[in-house]
Amino acid sequence: MTTSHSGSARHKERLDSVAEDVLRNVRFNRGFILWMGFLSAVLLVCLYAYVIQLRKGLGVTGLRDITSWGMYISQFVFFVATSLIGMLISSVLGLIGYKWVKPIARIAEIIAVAFAAVAGLVIISDMGRPDRFTYLFMYGRIQSPILWDVTVVTTYLLVSLMLWFIPLVPDLAIAKDRLEGRPKLLVKVYEILSIKWVNHPKQVEILNSTIRILLILIVPLAFAIHTVTSWLFALTPRAGWDSSIFGPYFISGAFVSGTAAVIIAMYFYRKSYKLEKYLTDFHFEKIGRVLALVSIVYIYFNINEFLVPAYKMKALDSIHLQELFSGEYALLFWGVQLFGLLIPTILLLFRQFRKPLPMMVIALFVLAGSWLKRILIVVPPQAHPFLPVQNVPIQWVIYKPTLIESLVTLATLILVLMIITILSKLFPVLPIQELAEEENADLEKQEFNN
Amino acid sequence: MRSFFLVILTSLLLLPELKAQEWVVPDDKKGKLSTFSFDDNTRKAGLKIYTTNCMSCHGMPGKGNSLKLVPPPPDPVSQQFQKNSDGELFFKLQIGRGQMPSFKNVLSTDDIWDVISYVRSFNTNYKQLIMPVITSSAYPGSVIKMVLSYNQADSSVILETSAVKGLSSVPVTDAAVKLFVHRTFGLLPVDEEKTTDKNGKAVFKIPHSLPGDTAGNINVSARFTNEDVFGAVSMDTVLNSAIKGTAVSLVARRAIWNNMKNAPVWILLTYIIGLFTALAFIGLVLMKLRDVFIIGDTLSKGGENEVNN
Repeated sequence: MTTSHSGSARHKERLDSVAEDVLRNVRFNRGFILWMGFLSAVLLVCLYAYVIQLRKGLGVTGLRDITSWGMYISQFVFFVATSLIGMLISSVLGLIGYKWVKPIARIAEIIAVAFAAVAGLVIISDMGRPDRFTYLFMYGRIQSPILWDVTVVTTYLLVSLMLWFIPLVPDLAIAKDRLEGRPKLLVKVYEILSIKWVNHPKQVEILNSTIRILLILIVPLAFAIHTVTSWLFALTPRAGWDSSIFGPYFISGAFVSGTAAVIIAMYFYRKSYKLEKYLTDFHFEKIGRVLALVSIVYIYFNINEFLVPAYKMKALDSIHLQELFSGEYALLFWGVQLFGLLIPTILLLFRQFRKPLPMMVIALFVLAGSWLKRILIVVPPQAHPFLPVQNVPIQWVIYKPTLIESLVTLATLILVLMIITILSKLFPVLPIQELAEEENADLEKQEFNN
Repeated sequence: MRSFFLVILTSLLLLPELKAQEWVVPDDKKGKLSTFSFDDNTRKAGLKIYTTNCMSCHGMPGKGNSLKLVPPPPDPVSQQFQKNSDGELFFKLQIGRGQMPSFKNVLSTDDIWDVISYVRSFNTNYKQLIMPVITSSAYPGSVIKMVLSYNQADSSVILETSAVKGLSSVPVTDAAVKLFVHRTFGLLPVDEEKTTDKNGKAVFKIPHSLPGDTAGNINVSARFTNEDVFGAVSMDTVLNSAIKGTAVSLVARRAIWNNMKNAPVWILLTYIIGLFTALAFIGLVLMKLRDVFIIGDTLSKGGENEVNN
């Protein structure tokens, strides 16, 4: 009896301290207002660029008859890829039983939600007549991967949102009584969203089973979303896209960019939110290993994707591959492969580099490399279609993104940052309830420290 | 720097090509001439053929937008091109070399002359020389004629040839002849090469499986194999000899490319089952959230016992 009492007292104490640390950041301080103000100002400039595109048409971009998919579609692929991380962290690693993913899981879900939500908007930015967007649902063909893509992206967004929200419910209930000095409206929102949570054993049981259902559901969905995205390319016979391993190639690449995004976010939350106690070197060490592992898998797929056609050098493949290996795109291609993948992977094999700061720098390189890699996947294969390019001006053949196009692309990234900021400023970024109960994770951590 | 190496590399690779740059036409072919004079009609026909068969590599004449191949396909307006004699152009178009394809089985003799007539329209210094009469070395002074007829009974095509000189006419004997069928992208040889008999006749078998248009018509051409001996004589005709083309509409059946109503069943099923499974799970999750709410709501109203039961 006494032990149970002291146990629950210790739990209460721990809950209080975790709640205080995490909820400290749920406020609209000056940093938040300045940051959002800066993002809004940049967004306004970018939106003006979009207005120009809307009024004058896609001619203001570098997209032409030959290369009709450029930065926008690359950005879309990058966003879908990065959003896949929600599935890897909470679902795959979580279901295996790794306790260390607990404080990271919600960060991964925030990233998943933000990138998946804006991915759809990126597609609209690529449309010359966005007012006809609804035609997709009215006249869309079920045989088209584009319709499948819209379906899975929407479903994935919905389930990711649920996977962010449902584990948050107990925290909302904990937090709603500890929000002194915050706007009344925010407290009210917490009240409603906590759906009368009182931590009753029956509620806990239902919630846990619900989360389990979602964690399983998200796995096929995440595979579907990015495989279908790869099929937008691989279901055409175009040299460079006509690959039977595009699905796994895309998915393995997605884990790389997503893990890098999570590392950057972790580093930022740790520093700016002063969460060193919860996002420890131990967590960085672990996620660093994950990044090394998924990068090695991605390197393997890269070798397969390029070596197999390069060995055969079929007529049209060879034009495309030589453009990448020694032609127009050689600098970008080798730069991305070396500095965005190979060197980061080698560095991550050493323990010294799996510390927060060096890993954040490595992750920045990996993320930038991932973005450029999407350009390399989307753009070069279009320059060499099966029908000879003839009687067109040279600037129609060579794709050069314009300033307007770059600004509109930037706008979508700004939107992602805004969603991430809002989600992590209005709601706790770490799972309070789970961290308070985190006895097992402590054990793991002790082993690590010894 | 990179482009410098590329230039070196390509030059090395191209050395054998450069050596073969000179395209020598046999002397006896150089003087070959068209049997008809070039006029607006032939130029118009030539433009059409040029657009379909030549422009993809040689570009628009005078625009200098030919494909960057090795050796480069010359612009028809260029000096390099126009300095060829009619016979040389004819030979090059008909035989081809390297990446320049042979049009022997694609274009008839007249077609090739039409193209040459179009191409010559860009050369203001050009004066056409016409071969005076269609004659042959075998039948001097005669005009060679061909007649095609169709024998339904054994589905064969009979070719009758004759050399006409004034009012007299003699059969052309021991001449090698070929029969072609017009297909979408060129001429398809049918049966084997035949030699005309003592009556000037040759019989070609039409395969039963040969599809024609929806009315069962096929367009056939007969030609002498040796044009130098017999002159450029050929004959086109339409024969009702083939099986009727069963042109099934491409959208008649369920297919990937069809509209949504006629989508393949497997796609419909996969999509619908996949979507509804996901939606069912999402619905289930929402129901469970509702349960959580109801428990909390009941508890807040003091219904501890209700919940525990």
